[in-house]
Amino acid sequence: MNNVDLHTLDPRPRVVLGSSVELTGSRCTACSYPSTDVLSRCPECSQPMTPCTFGARGRVFASTVLRVPVPGREPPYGLAYVDMIPDEGSGPRILAHSDPTAGALPPGSIVELIGLTTEGDPLVRGCEVDG
Amino acid sequence: MPAWEGVSVLGVGTTMFGKQPELTGPELVRQAVFEALDDAGVDSVDAVFAGTVFGAPGTIQRALQTCGIVEVPIITIENACASGTSAFHEACRAVDSGAFGNVLALGVETMTHHFGGAIHPEPTDREGRQGLAMPSIYAMSASRYQSVYGVTDEQLAMVSVKNHQHAVGNPRAQHQRVVTVDEVLESRLVADPLTILQCCSIADAAAAAVVGRTRDGLGVRVRSSALRSGALWDHRSPNVWGWDIVASTAQDAFTSAGVSCSDIDLFEVHDAFTIGEIVTLEALGLAPVGEGALLAESGHSALGGPQPVNPSGGLLSRGHPLGATGLAQVAEVVWQLRHDAGSRQVDGAVLGVVETMGGGTAGVDGNGCVVAVLEREDR
Repeated sequence: MNNVDLHTLDPRPRVVLGSSVELTGSRCTACSYPSTDVLSRCPECSQPMTPCTFGARGRVFASTVLRVPVPGREPPYGLAYVDMIPDEGSGPRILAHSDPTAGALPPGSIVELIGLTTEGDPLVRGCEVDG
Repeated sequence: MPAWEGVSVLGVGTTMFGKQPELTGPELVRQAVFEALDDAGVDSVDAVFAGTVFGAPGTIQRALQTCGIVEVPIITIENACASGTSAFHEACRAVDSGAFGNVLALGVETMTHHFGGAIHPEPTDREGRQGLAMPSIYAMSASRYQSVYGVTDEQLAMVSVKNHQHAVGNPRAQHQRVVTVDEVLESRLVADPLTILQCCSIADAAAAAVVGRTRDGLGVRVRSSALRSGALWDHRSPNVWGWDIVASTAQDAFTSAGVSCSDIDLFEVHDAFTIGEIVTLEALGLAPVGEGALLAESGHSALGGPQPVNPSGGLLSRGHPLGATGLAQVAEVVWQLRHDAGSRQVDGAVLGVVETMGGGTAGVDGNGCVVAVLEREDR
């Protein structure tokens, strides 16, 4: 056993917090496949990937509110699969948290990434559709 | 993928399923293995493939030495909920290839030694680290089906009602009582819209099968078995998680066996949650996408219906000790095809299907899926 703190090896999607909130990752230079991981080679076509951002907007694919205990977390909390909508190309499908008091986010609705939960998870909320 | 010739399940055995924290892994394994060996009429095997998920390193060898099964090759497989059926698949392949004569497929899990409730999400997984417990994965599929296809809470509950009704005839099931739609819907909410009676229970159990060359008048023939891991599941996937891997694996198994879904007399499928059975039956071909919920509602998938699904009570009623589940499904189909299933017998059953899908890894459409087609041998 070495001395690496496994909690620093965080596998969750990377969210940049600044003047604007953005999801980062990488995109294939050949087929445009998007990934939340910073990968050197595309898992779809094996061509080089380059780092990129995917913005903050997305569409809910599916959602729920989890109401049972999970180690280190206090239920309930909202969860949703969100297909990110970058300015160009397709965005990755990510898991994000949401406010459970409003119930599960409606599938098909537009959401925006607003930051991180206190546990460090991507956090989204519903937003007005602006066409 | 060629059809298999001459591979049979010669014997099966299982423990009781349920919360049995007073029993050790070796004690559970001995019960299942000795029943399977006796059922097959053999006292030794040439190799072992075993499935377990939460067992410590050496779990299988620690248990099998107490059965006197030593020195032969022992391979332990972890493939999430499909661990047991993955072991069965590899045992069948080993017999088919001629590598071994009689092969033991085994599954065991002592879940109450590890968990008090839902399985803990895996913190090295990008979604597990976010607290995505298994009920919430399936609950999101249910929310999608409710939103896109108009599946109702009542239709979800009917799957639980059906499988609990089936389990009344299964003396080895964890839950052997009838429940109503109202009871299911009024039970505790776990992950919207799934209530606790729509979720399988953790359990402790072992199950085993002896696979070997077909003998005249004994056993159940394995027409085919297919194993796949999931493709990338991402923004391009219109189907809910797990749909495509089951469909692809089923296509492999049905093509290899030379059968179609409509030929099958009964199914044991992975109903870890009510929505799981609905999605799986669509992927197997029993209903078009979005119409799987009609199968329980219409009685198509009930005992007495045209194609009973989970006559054992399924995971929802039998309980779900991950490694043992797949072999328990195999055992149920074998008993059904021998016409030894008592009050839950599917009349005249000749062809049965086992399907198990395991998950828990973000980014792919399931860790693994096995679909096997079994056939009653002519006596």
